Amino acid sequence: MLELLIKKTLGNFSLQSTFTAKNGVLGILGPSGCGKSMTLKCIAGLQTPDSGLIRLNDKLLFSSEFKIDIPSRKRNIGYVFQHYALFPHMTVMNNIGYGVKHLEKKQRIQKIKRMIERMQLDGLEDHYPSQLSGGQQQRTALARTLITEPDLLLLDEPFSALDSHIKHLLEKELISIIKNNFDGIVLLVTHNIEEAYRICDHIMIMDKGNNLQYGTKDDIVHTPANLTTARITGCKNLLDVTVLKETDQHLILKSNELIFKAIKPKLKPSKIKVAGIRSHHISFCSDSHNNDNTFECTIIDKINGVFSTIIVVNCKRCILQVELSKMSCPHIHKCNSSKLMLHIPPHQVFVMDKDE
Amino acid sequence: MDNINLFPLYLSFRVAITATIISFIIGIPFAYFLSKRDGKVTDFMDTLTNLPVVLPPTVLGYYLLILLGRQSPIGAFMENTFGKMIVFTPTGAIIASTVVSIPYLIKSSKTSFVEINEDYLNAARLLGRNELNIFFTIVLPIAWRGILAGITMSFVRALGDFGTTLMVSGSIPNKTMTMPIAIYDALQAGDKYMANLLVFIMTSIAIIFLFTINLLERKMRKG
Repeated sequence: MLELLIKKTLGNFSLQSTFTAKNGVLGILGPSGCGKSMTLKCIAGLQTPDSGLIRLNDKLLFSSEFKIDIPSRKRNIGYVFQHYALFPHMTVMNNIGYGVKHLEKKQRIQKIKRMIERMQLDGLEDHYPSQLSGGQQQRTALARTLITEPDLLLLDEPFSALDSHIKHLLEKELISIIKNNFDGIVLLVTHNIEEAYRICDHIMIMDKGNNLQYGTKDDIVHTPANLTTARITGCKNLLDVTVLKETDQHLILKSNELIFKAIKPKLKPSKIKVAGIRSHHISFCSDSHNNDNTFECTIIDKINGVFSTIIVVNCKRCILQVELSKMSCPHIHKCNSSKLMLHIPPHQVFVMDKDE
Repeated sequence: MDNINLFPLYLSFRVAITATIISFIIGIPFAYFLSKRDGKVTDFMDTLTNLPVVLPPTVLGYYLLILLGRQSPIGAFMENTFGKMIVFTPTGAIIASTVVSIPYLIKSSKTSFVEINEDYLNAARLLGRNELNIFFTIVLPIAWRGILAGITMSFVRALGDFGTTLMVSGSIPNKTMTMPIAIYDALQAGDKYMANLLVFIMTSIAIIFLFTINLLERKMRKG
């Protein structure tokens, strides 16, 4: 188990990170500059926190109270860098063997060979990193780290520098390599919610040096705790609302002239102010005037993507984005009439505090 | 033709090689130190390092004379304790050459140290290596090309130094007269043949040297 409670100030940026992580993959998600990479660097000992403690499986790595700061080389932590940081002047074999130089030669070579086989790098032993494909580089980087049998694996935006078509392949490969070769704690830093959702078990949202929310990935996506979390998880429709009425199960909310129903949140926020609706949860319907939460709207704009279209509508003076798969309703893409009916499912509306 | 004195050539090489070795030993750690820190003190030291490049050689020679001359604490100490003089000796020439040539080595090495991606060093740290080990296994091999360029520049500069060396060690024939000084000396004496010959030798050496280094560099890039 990894326990973290650190503070660090750099210029006018201050990082405050407190969380624990158990076996499995924890995604740290946030915009660039939110302190997620710095958190990893503190855990790895590449940055020193101003105060706090870092404990990994009962081993104290850092403690300002007891003046403990174990150097990186003795922390036994695996780290995969953004561009892998393979040593350019060393062959695949020497790269992989770099962390096990202390072993006796015969044993070391045996270990490297086994790792090369497991990572399917056979035949590339004498290649230099610049001669490898993206996938081979990733496998070499993982091999170099996993051969040292680390207690904790840190992945710092491993896919951010890749083309999208190769990204998915490498992502799949990374997941399977980690599942088959490592059963400890993995922390993955990313700014991509899709990536975090696919790879991780738990997700922690960070912004401006603070941890905003920590939970299972489904919790994070279905019930964002606040406005920033909603935005970071990709929610396009965020409406300032006032509560008109409260029933046992529902809230009646008003935003401009739009009055709609939402399921009551479990935790009752002190001052409900923002309602979020993900753009793919809103749907269009043809007539159904009697339906709940159905409103007339006018199309303002259509943005055509590859597989989906985003339709921007004005619904009773609220601007909403609706994302539709191109397959599901071709008639809307073709229709030119600007008046439509849209439906907001009450159970897909999440209500939260407005950030101060 | 028979009475060509090759002593200046020999001395110049001895001085330049020794000066380059000293520059390497002092300059590389110093350049690494400069590349790792930034602050006012480091900036100041960095500026100071470049001073020998911009100062007129005679001014630099004058400072060295004051610093190392027989009246100076260092000069007096050397003379009283070891019975050795620094000024007007080959040692003086070596010191003068080192001072004028070391900035090139430091500057070039520092640039290539700064260019090393910090992630390489961090990766090595997390793989259990200490800083000294990382310096020899990662930093030096990656920065090698810049260091080599620095060594070349520094050596060629040391080989060709005139003003500072003349100020510090004089031009005593068969004792402290290096090639550049010998050329000047020959020209002053009206010995055009000698001057031409020495100039030709110097130019050939410089070209051969640069060519070899260039070749070496290209080979390394391929490997």
